[in-house]
Amino acid sequence: MPTYIVTVTAADAVGIVNSVTGTIFRQGGNVIELSQTVLRDFFTIILAVEFPEAKNTRTLAAAVIAEGSRFDLTVAVIEVPVEAVPPPVADGERFILTVLGNDHPGNIHRIAGRLSQRGVNIVDLHARADGPRFSLVTEVFLPHDLSPRELRADLEEFGRELGLECFVQHENIFLATTEPSPVRVGASSSREGAAVVPH
Amino acid sequence: MYRTEDVLSTLGMVRQHKLDVRTVTMGIDLLPCASPDLGTLQLRIRERLLRFAGRLRAVCEEVESRYGIPIVNRRIAVTPIARVAASQSAEGYLAVAKTLDEVAGEVGVDLVGGFTALVQKGWTDGDRRLISALPDVLSTTKRVCSSVNVGTTAAGINMDAILAIGHVLKQTAERTADHDGFGCAKLVVFANAPTDNPFMAGAFHGEGEADCAVNIGVSGPGVVKAAVEDLLTVNPKATLGEIAEEIKSTAFRVTRVGELIGREVASRLGVAFGIVDLSLAPTPQVGDSVGEILQAMGVVRLGAPGSTAALAMLNDAVKKGGSFASSSVGGLSGAFVAVSEDSALAEAVERGDLTLAKLEAMTAVCSVGLDMIAVPGDTDAETLAALIADEVSIGVINHKTTAVRVIPVPGKRAGDRAVFGGLFGEMVILPIHAASGSAAFVHHGGRIPAPLSSLRN
Repeated sequence: MPTYIVTVTAADAVGIVNSVTGTIFRQGGNVIELSQTVLRDFFTIILAVEFPEAKNTRTLAAAVIAEGSRFDLTVAVIEVPVEAVPPPVADGERFILTVLGNDHPGNIHRIAGRLSQRGVNIVDLHARADGPRFSLVTEVFLPHDLSPRELRADLEEFGRELGLECFVQHENIFLATTEPSPVRVGASSSREGAAVVPH
Repeated sequence: MYRTEDVLSTLGMVRQHKLDVRTVTMGIDLLPCASPDLGTLQLRIRERLLRFAGRLRAVCEEVESRYGIPIVNRRIAVTPIARVAASQSAEGYLAVAKTLDEVAGEVGVDLVGGFTALVQKGWTDGDRRLISALPDVLSTTKRVCSSVNVGTTAAGINMDAILAIGHVLKQTAERTADHDGFGCAKLVVFANAPTDNPFMAGAFHGEGEADCAVNIGVSGPGVVKAAVEDLLTVNPKATLGEIAEEIKSTAFRVTRVGELIGREVASRLGVAFGIVDLSLAPTPQVGDSVGEILQAMGVVRLGAPGSTAALAMLNDAVKKGGSFASSSVGGLSGAFVAVSEDSALAEAVERGDLTLAKLEAMTAVCSVGLDMIAVPGDTDAETLAALIADEVSIGVINHKTTAVRVIPVPGKRAGDRAVFGGLFGEMVILPIHAASGSAAFVHHGGRIPAPLSSLRN
């Protein structure tokens, strides 16, 4: 089914989600995934939408803008290619990278650059400056040829140059400490953890 | 996406408040090694330890790297050696201890526990020979830790064994006099000893355990203290109930980290995961102290009235949080008041605030007991035995584990300083009031009968 990525930004106000999803519904679309946040009083939403038949991206964007005219929306629509896109880091492991330190222009760019050099894929990121203090929390996938120890050492050295502290921890630590569901051990334990003790 | 606050909170536990896995202790059953021939016994023990624990260190390092959580110690606990080497002479027991010591060094563990006898009701010839070998074992091996269970609620208290241990402590202290009697720090005398305790010196792989199991000792005095302080910063008027809730939720998180690491290590080694022991185990480092938690709760002078109540609340809240976190909680799972290992408790002793009598009272509401207590070197064996009997009786009557790790420091008196070094810390030697005043009681010997389990008031 033709799928489109719709992004909408505007000054935050009550009713924007209602307006955007209403337009998509009336156009015959079905939202299959959505992420929305408000950042410094600015609303932003990204939706993946399926339609039973192909849509003109400009027409769809214009409809969202027109029906939400009282919100002064900025809208972009792109079509998802039909061919399956291979994942950027196939079957990697998910880690949480936390960076703390003083705020400087270019912090995020430099961190992202370093991660990109090592083949680390960012899948979720939140960063903010509170006065002079900078914090960044991001979920990343590590490629198989990069150990967390290696990335930790690399980022610690890199962080020192910029006056930032970088911490890399496995997702399972946060799952274990924040969710009451049973503790799980990661996939790599089954790959590397075949029984080695003869019974 | 995880909430930034949650991520920073978990990160803070590791980064600022010293959350670590204090020990990954591999319990190994050695009963299949038993043989009347000493050489065969030693060879079988060596082979079995290497077979199970050969990769322990490497796997712990892999898991440490994967999760970024320090694993401070890797240890081995074995079947009580009195069972495994029952037919050996005292010299044979010493030879077995040396085998354990050597193999522990080869596989990269710092301590091996289980040079143990369970003599709560009676003792065999083998038990006697093991106990008589202890001064040699504790003074000539580096890594071997010993424990003797002298009482249970079901069986009562073996006073003959306790008096024998009083003499063992004297001899061991003399043989390690150049290190302030440090050999005694590797001997724990238990009541109701748990079979799956991962913490040394009292770890052993007890009855009913599998061939091999990985048990975890987590520790987070710093984390709990920080949680209490943070709560009181935000809400200085927090009630004790609110403080208990904060401790409980912190214990939950600490326990979960321990279980995660334990399951991962066990999975990679292909052995069973046993339990996570969520004891708050202090180290001499400032900020890693059970005493400091009590101070954060408002007992500024440790040993003051209120210390026992605060410790009881802390111990209970830790157990509640841990029990919710995991169905595999075991071992001791409470707050340790190991005096020389806890800088705040050691300071309280030095100031004269914390006395032996108050410590004994505190051990009635927490785990484990009179732990890492330095006493005058001229304390006689009968007085040491009576001290042990008092503590053991608290455990036996109250259906709980208690233990004694007491060091009569040769050539030193009350008020002098005993220095054990490293994780064992240091402390000012505590006086024993009315010492030698109960020798006749101890010399009656025999068994104090098991207590009544009804009419419990």
